[in-house]
Parts: sequence; structure tokens; C-alpha cells
Amino acid sequence: MSENQKAFVVAAIVCVTCSLLLTAASSGLKDYQIQNMTIDRHKNLLKSVGLIDSEKTYTPEDIESLYQTNIRALWIDSAGRLVPESERGAQDLPVYLFVQNDAIAAYIVPIDTTGLWGKINGYLAIKNDGSTIMGFTVYSHSETPGLGGEIERKWFQKNFEGKRIVNKEGKFVSVGIARGTVQDRIQPEQRIHFVDGISGATLTGKFLSAGLKNVLREYEPVSIKFRQHDISRVPGVGK
Amino acid sequence: MNRKTFKPFIEPLWDNNPIFVQVLGICSALAVTVQMKTAIVMGLALALVTAFSNLTISLIRNQIPKNIRIIVELCVVATLVIIADQLLKAFLYDISKQLSVFVGLIITNCIVMGRAETYALGNPPIASFLDGLGNGLGYATVLVAVSFFRELLGSGKLFGFSVIPDMVYDWGYQNNGLMLLAPAAFILIGLLAWAQKAFHNRQG
Repeated sequence: MSENQKAFVVAAIVCVTCSLLLTAASSGLKDYQIQNMTIDRHKNLLKSVGLIDSEKTYTPEDIESLYQTNIRALWIDSAGRLVPESERGAQDLPVYLFVQNDAIAAYIVPIDTTGLWGKINGYLAIKNDGSTIMGFTVYSHSETPGLGGEIERKWFQKNFEGKRIVNKEGKFVSVGIARGTVQDRIQPEQRIHFVDGISGATLTGKFLSAGLKNVLREYEPVSIKFRQHDISRVPGVGK
Repeated sequence: MNRKTFKPFIEPLWDNNPIFVQVLGICSALAVTVQMKTAIVMGLALALVTAFSNLTISLIRNQIPKNIRIIVELCVVATLVIIADQLLKAFLYDISKQLSVFVGLIITNCIVMGRAETYALGNPPIASFLDGLGNGLGYATVLVAVSFFRELLGSGKLFGFSVIPDMVYDWGYQNNGLMLLAPAAFILIGLLAWAQKAFHNRQG
């Protein structure tokens, strides 16, 4: 066998062995990974409404029981009505309700958008007045660690709390990320609609601002209902 | 088993430490040493990857054609790193999220390829395995030492538990924010390398 032929044979054997090992690892561990991801998403839902402190550690059981008692997963139709999974239409959007004493304290909008380098997934919780942000979290992203990756940090997310997505006239304006600090860059009357930007991550901020605006606009029908106090009870629970 | 058998294992821990002496693997040492927990997991992951890649490459060293040896090495290393990453995602999800891209970047860590190329290709499997393990643990030791100082001085914690009493903060002590940033790791690694050299030279 010539030198070149041998190289091909060895390369083929190495490649096949490696790919078999990788397939085994990825399919064998898949169930565990999916379970971890679900728990992580639930954890972030709870974090967005302030039920979980990012400084503390929680067991998966703690998270699941908190999730079961406080969060309801529902869908909203194009008119902004809340519908249970069973009555869901093809165009309906997912929404999560933060329920306390049978009343809706806040609703949580999944933020699935794109950043500079890839997808950003997170949750934005809005109080039952339909306009004040309760919290924001990011559970997955591909931004550069230390720059755009700061969006997963507490200091950045904390600034969203109390910001408003509608202006004084009641018109939808969304919430944006400033270039630099809000103090320096934004007019005083606009400050309630902006959070501090991340230095070195102007583009991530720009993409996330646009993404938030798009998603929140899609959820406007339900937000308007909340603003008009049309929704107070969870459908399917009591009458 | 005598001293000589373990020479490839003992040497890189101190006398021929990959970070201090060979100056390999600095980049990830800067990134993952803010907390001790991530530093330990990263160190162990790298030690296992280096050990097993050395072992595998040494086992097939006589079969690897010279002209494609780097590709074969890379293939073995990449497979092991992805398996390590998958295992972390399945069993240590939170830590794997904090380590983010750096586990995947073990592939590009010069220690792994460096040891495969300079040691495993020319030495028997057991010695290669020990050499890989020793180098990985030498790296891990430095990571843990650096992260100890960074976490203690930067956030007043060790393994995530507060160790500095509130009383000290009341007296006006503050955590050093610089310790949480990459430059602090540079400074600490420099100081540790200096200490290691000074100590080493005095010994003879």
C-alpha cells in the first residue's frame, strides 16, 4: 500500500470512529440536556418576576414547585384574548402569567430575537397595568463574552425594572437600550423608556432594542387589554 | 513503579509547569478564573482531555502517517472536547453556561496540541497519559491559585460563599473591582510566575 493510500485509510478510520463516538455522546445525553434546559427556562421565567434571586442556588425541585404554583403557560389569539393550550390557533403567541392569589400579577413575554452574532432568548415580565416592566432575563445568546455577553448579567437586566413601554399619552414606544448611559444620552422625559447600554457592545444593544420593539408590538393586543383592565382572571381557573 | 515512571506526571506540576514555564494556555486562564468553581471544572476538563488525547494518540502513534498527523491529532482532540462539553451540559448545566465558549475553546488550547505533538507521538501510552494528566493538572493548579485570589479579593467569596465578615466592610473595606476583570489575571499570573521562578532558582 502506498503512503498516500495509507493516509486515506487511516483518516477514514479515525473520522468514522470519532463520529460514532460523538453520535453516541449526543444522543445518549440528550434527555438530561433537554431536562436541564427546561429547568433553566423555568428558572428564568421565575427570575423575570423576581421570585428567584440570582445570587442564591436552587435545587431543580425548588424551581419546579415554584413554577407550578406561580406560573401558567397560555396562548393569546390575534384579538389579545388569553386561550388555553387546547383552544390554541395556529397564529397564536405563547404567554406566561404570574399568578398570585388567583389574580394575574404580571404577564411574561418570551423574547426570541437575534443579536449581533446569533439568537437571543429571554423573558420580559410586564405588570398587570400592561405598561410597566417587572423584569428582564436572558437565558441563551451567542454574543461575545465580556462585551455583548453582558446582557446576561444582573447589572444590565436590573435596569429594566420599572421602565415603561408606553409614553404619557398612552402610545406604545417600547423600551430601548441607550448608547452609553441613560443619564448622559437621553432627554429627561424619555429616560423612563431606556436602559444603560453596554460599552463595547453598541450593535448588540441596537439589535436587542429592535428585537424588543418587534416582539412587544406583536404582543400589543394583549397589552392593550391589560391597560384597559379587561383581563383580571386566568381563563380556565374559576369563573 | 518507581520515581521515573511518574516523572512525566510530576514534572509539569511544578518544574515544567505549562503556564509558568512553557507559557501555554494563557487565554483561557484569564477568562475562567473569576470564580473558583468554574476554574476547577475547567482545569479538570482540560486535564482529562489532555490525558485521554495523549493516550489515544500514543496508542495509534505508529499508525498515523506523518503527512496527516496534525489532522488526526486535531480530530481526536476535538472529539474529546465535544464529549466533555456534552457531559458538562448534561450534568453540570449551570457551570457549563458560565464557562460558555471556553470549554469548546479547549480545542485551541496550546497545551493539548502541544503535548500531543511533542510527547505523545514519541512515547508509550502510559507515560503519555501521565504526561497529559500532569500538564492538565499543572494548568488546573495555576487556575485554582489565580481564581482563589480573584474571587477572594474581587467579590469577598470562596466557592460562592461569603468569607469576609460584614464587620470588615463596616470598617470601610471594599472589594477590588479590578480583580473581576481580565487585567487582574495577567498581573496575578505574572506575580505567580515570578514567585515560581525565584523559588525554583534558589533550589538549584
